[in-house]
Amino acid sequence: MKWITRERPKIDRIACPWLIRNFVDHKAKFIYVPKEDVFAKAEELDAIPYDIPGAEYSHEGEFCTFDYIIRRHQLADPALDQIALIVRGADTDRFDLAPQAAGLWAISAGLSHNIKDDHEQLVLGMKIYDALYSWARYVHNEKHTWSSKI
Amino acid sequence: MRWITRERPKIDRIACPWLIRRFVDQEAEFIYVPFEEVIPKSKEFDAIPFDLPGVEYTHYGDECTFDYIVKKHKLDDPALKVMAVIVRGADTDRHDLASQSSGLWAISAGLSHNVKDDSLLLEKGMMVYDALYSWAKYLQNEKHTQNPIENLLLDVYKKFLKHKSGKIPEWAKELKDIIQDQIDTNLSLSLRELSESLNVHPSYLSREFSKYFDDLSFGDYIRKLRIEKSIILLDDPKHTLAEIAYLTGFSDQSHFNRIFKKYTGKNPSEYRKSLLKSKTDTNR
Repeated sequence: MKWITRERPKIDRIACPWLIRNFVDHKAKFIYVPKEDVFAKAEELDAIPYDIPGAEYSHEGEFCTFDYIIRRHQLADPALDQIALIVRGADTDRFDLAPQAAGLWAISAGLSHNIKDDHEQLVLGMKIYDALYSWARYVHNEKHTWSSKI
Repeated sequence: MRWITRERPKIDRIACPWLIRRFVDQEAEFIYVPFEEVIPKSKEFDAIPFDLPGVEYTHYGDECTFDYIVKKHKLDDPALKVMAVIVRGADTDRHDLASQSSGLWAISAGLSHNVKDDSLLLEKGMMVYDALYSWAKYLQNEKHTQNPIENLLLDVYKKFLKHKSGKIPEWAKELKDIIQDQIDTNLSLSLRELSESLNVHPSYLSREFSKYFDDLSFGDYIRKLRIEKSIILLDDPKHTLAEIAYLTGFSDQSHFNRIFKKYTGKNPSEYRKSLLKSKTDTNR
């Protein structure tokens, strides 16, 4: 399927494509267009609009689109639940939700500032979510100190 | 120059190469080898060893190698100072040092898990630190709340620490002004967010608040200000009641009506009529 959303992604519009491609639809293609064109282009291109008010795949109350995809597609993976909190915290200005949210925001905001091509940003952003997933799944109890690392 | 350190980098051994290449030596090359080979290989390759005990470029006290490079090469870019604390927090498991440290650690630990080739890992890591640098340099204040109030509140708290004596603490006076300012612009203040910004425990703030704010609880004080603002807006006939409810932070008009009546004894439309009436009376 094609998925379409607003251009200049930061958090949710990078995290959701990562989630969709890895857990919902491996062949998914992602399109970024100006906000006012999302619904028109969605019809024209037969794409699913997401992370925009009025779409099915969007924020609900305090939950962001990432949360909605997890619920809608019944993705049961504790690592994803952990990432969802971080993404929600970074995406909805609630850095208190997860200690990692502030860092994810800083890195994502900086990445978006450095890379003006949305697709290029998506490719790099995917690596960051791959990393977060591996951290959540395999290494999140690991400590890192000067004495333990040598 | 060549630089050499231990293999399987996570934080400092990625952050330092980034720092060196961007600010010290653009042509720098980086070599990762097993721990025991660092010193012999550094001689063989004429490379500078870094981030291991016993060399010049290493940890000193609480500070990590990144800090040392900033100091040694007199890098005085304020964004680097911000980054240094984040890196130190992530590298020395002191995630309390900067709120971004935990996220940097999670992403770096995961990257290291995913990418087994250290040079490739460095390449990916460079992009992470480029991003962090841009954030620190250009976007820090644009951050989550998009609201300079948070910095203001921090200033207030610092003043409070300095002026503990006296009857009404300075912070209480300033907090009053700040809340008033906030009421004028946005009404989504919560005790939890405020206490976070002030770095005091919510229960402390909640307990102490009424002492300095007309004997009202935090919630009552905010509600009082909202009602006062709504009265000013009611006086202007171009606002509908629904708009006023929205502008004063009530989620819907019926909630607004209920709270308004509780405070003033009248519902908003009655109150507006009486305002209008008294006006026409005096006009005549």
